[in-house]
Amino acid sequence: MLDELPSDDWTPEAAAHLLNRAGFGGTPGEIAALHKVGRSRAVDFLLAGDEDADLFPPPAASEPVNLVEMLSKSKELTEEERQMKKKEMQRIFRDQTIELRAWWLDRMRWTSHPAREKALLFWHGHWATSIEKVKEPFFMWQQNETLRTLSLGSFRRMASEISKDPAMMRYLDLQQSKRDKPNENFARELMELFTLGEGHYSEQDIAESARAFTGYRVKQSTRQFEFQPRQHDSGQKTFFGKTGNFTGDDVLDLILAHPETARFLARKLWVFYAGSEPSPELLNALADEYRSTDYDTGRLLKRAFNCREFYSPTVVRRQVKGPIQWLVGTCKVLEIPLPSAIACNGILQQLGQIPFAPPNVKGWDGGRAWISSATLLLRYNIAGYIISGKAQGLPGFGGNTPSRSTISVEKVFSAEGSAEALCASVGWRLFQSPLPPDLERKFVAYLSTHGMGSAARRDLLHLMMSTPEFQLT
Amino acid sequence: MSKTLHTRRKFLRTSLLGGAVAWTVPIFLERTFSALDAMAADSLVGGVSGKDGPILVILQLAGGNDGLNTLIPYTDDAYYRARPRLGIQGTQVLKINDHLGLHPKLTSLRGLYDEGRMGIVQGVGYPNPNRSHFRSTEIWQTAVDSNKTSTTGWLGRYFDSCCEGADPAVGVNIGSQSPQAFAAGEPKGISFARPEQFRFNSSQSSDPAAADEFFRSMNETSDDRNDGGSIGMLKGSVDSGGDTLDFLRRTGLDAQMSSDKVLEITRKSKSPVPYPNSNLASSFNLVARLIGGGMPTRVYYVGQGGFDTHSGQAGSHDRLMGDLDAAVGAFTADLKAQGNFDRVVLMTFSEFGRRVAENASGGTDHGAAAPLFVIGGGVHAGLFGQTPSLTNLNNGDIIHNIDFRSVYATVLENWLHAPSNEILRGTFPKLPFV
Repeated sequence: MLDELPSDDWTPEAAAHLLNRAGFGGTPGEIAALHKVGRSRAVDFLLAGDEDADLFPPPAASEPVNLVEMLSKSKELTEEERQMKKKEMQRIFRDQTIELRAWWLDRMRWTSHPAREKALLFWHGHWATSIEKVKEPFFMWQQNETLRTLSLGSFRRMASEISKDPAMMRYLDLQQSKRDKPNENFARELMELFTLGEGHYSEQDIAESARAFTGYRVKQSTRQFEFQPRQHDSGQKTFFGKTGNFTGDDVLDLILAHPETARFLARKLWVFYAGSEPSPELLNALADEYRSTDYDTGRLLKRAFNCREFYSPTVVRRQVKGPIQWLVGTCKVLEIPLPSAIACNGILQQLGQIPFAPPNVKGWDGGRAWISSATLLLRYNIAGYIISGKAQGLPGFGGNTPSRSTISVEKVFSAEGSAEALCASVGWRLFQSPLPPDLERKFVAYLSTHGMGSAARRDLLHLMMSTPEFQLT
Repeated sequence: MSKTLHTRRKFLRTSLLGGAVAWTVPIFLERTFSALDAMAADSLVGGVSGKDGPILVILQLAGGNDGLNTLIPYTDDAYYRARPRLGIQGTQVLKINDHLGLHPKLTSLRGLYDEGRMGIVQGVGYPNPNRSHFRSTEIWQTAVDSNKTSTTGWLGRYFDSCCEGADPAVGVNIGSQSPQAFAAGEPKGISFARPEQFRFNSSQSSDPAAADEFFRSMNETSDDRNDGGSIGMLKGSVDSGGDTLDFLRRTGLDAQMSSDKVLEITRKSKSPVPYPNSNLASSFNLVARLIGGGMPTRVYYVGQGGFDTHSGQAGSHDRLMGDLDAAVGAFTADLKAQGNFDRVVLMTFSEFGRRVAENASGGTDHGAAAPLFVIGGGVHAGLFGQTPSLTNLNNGDIIHNIDFRSVYATVLENWLHAPSNEILRGTFPKLPFV
């Protein structure tokens, strides 16, 4: 298990697969460059990344809206003025949220460290927290930054930081947990969804650990975590059969010492990246690796991305692209910028993956759940919008349809050469594997019938994206 | 190639030959495989076609509806002791007998009850209840014991066992993610939220007619596509067990086969009764139009969220009950006007009820057993099952006295005429509500 992929099997398809799964895919040139350096260096390169923080100026949400000021002022106001203020605040939050989403999507699109953003997408779905309940975009931005720093690092630190993360504390009612009346919401999900999985703890473990996480508060003025000893239950607790005056971090240590935690997390990471269930032997090996590195996510992924199993035929091009992967990856292979912030918002809402708004604390189900007859047709139609710029009838874009210029087709689909050669080359760009013969025949026939004009080539790009095959990575 | 894909392509091809301009003649979908394909007809169990078969509509109340404030035991002191703030007074409830009354907002439902068109099944749940939303929803959707799991849903198993060769639209989910209940060995059922987007939009192309024709051709002659070809694309072997591409192709075909019909019906039809302005009402409106338009659908699935009322329940639960009642009221009136009320049974469910005692935040926490409603022209009205005790509790929760699979068994056997033992993997006593 976890043997390295033989160097003979390091093909351009394998390099494309690595780039698709570790990141969001890339152009034929990027794939060729990655292939050239060899597997091991390619994996190291992707996981190490470049320093790129300066390229992305922070969004408006990185400054907290001064609620104190807004609220204190509101006391002197009439009811009507107060309602206006409230509406104003909601508008600011809404605009900031849409901008925040676009900001993160842009990072995924342009970053020179895509593996970090991809891992961050995993962790966002793992520690699923939604703006719907958290309300303040600032908290969501802050959580995003916390997770980014640790996305390829220590899960131990990440768990501790997230338990003190204001967005999470608000989402799972931790900041309302009182010494005399501990709220069990966070404690329950911590074990059921974030670390152990169902069946490895008791209701008593939940109640006792909820006591350990009391005293966690968000300071009103700074909008940061603050520990309030007076609200903390420092008494004796019994957790997993051990007794002590446990704090929240003590409980996390005990959870991380539980062998099921490494298995639960390793399985979830493998399913996210490989798109299929690991065999029992593979799962054991991955869990051992995670534990032996003290939950170093980057080191686990390094083993995973180098191993033979990751490139098996049951893995390669067998994963349904998630909506974000689909959108960002499409723009990368077409070498175009993302649609406007409002359009991205609408697209991802329709396709079922709105960043900062997972459907519930379990995150997105992923896999085949992304696809229904409704979302498949929507993907085809949104592909048409991305290619043609026409948004007629697409829902979620509001009344004022954002216009987008038609893409320039020359860069990705030139008219130089035979129809066969062109279809093969654009097919590699879009699918990163040879086209099935019958599809290729049809595409070639389309070009022969409709000519090589740029409009016909654009139409064909849309049709190529309107296939089941394009939904896979 | 999987059997389903093969049959579906055959269906597409047969339809294409059967009608001169099959793709532009939406009525082809009214015929089933059995009418067109002798092979499929052989294996057809029956009863899945046409415009006059029985229809089941499932309404999921997601989040855990508070059953105790839906069907209120207004003479039970224990109720008011457990709910000093949230208890609804006897003077307000819509009494249905000397002990029980409906939530004050449920006026349409009360009317249906009085007409003899609504049954209330009390204390529905399952042994060893699970308080996780996700797990309990899964138990209801897959219809298994709470310590077991299944990859198929109970409606999916019904499709598998009784609807082989049927139109993919035998199950219609209003929404974009297919419910787990539809998961099947040979998946069926389509999902859509907006009919106007439920089609391939060729108007974005410079030559819409050509694009449309090409898009359709990619599916319709796919019989030529051999497995080797698709596997070359996947870099995989035939027996690798990964049939994700098959799944996608099937979904695409199902969508394509149904979209003309859905668009045709929804463009043409208009409801004769007014619907309120809510998501749930829009869903029901769509279902009513599809039923009226003659879709070959046996099971419709709609949902309403927001029932996880941990805090400030009084106002929010009132609104939910009001929305529910207004939407169901419009839907049933619509069906009556269409003359289809006798063909439809509407059944509600929620993953659990809520704790008997209210909590410190003016809400209620996750509980267990709760009542559910069955509504329709063919329903025998009345109360089914015993009113649960509020003093004999299990960890503060109501103990179920009717297994939810008894409700399923009743609907399957007595309404859809399907063998429930096989579908539910066990025998559950039926109830006389239909």
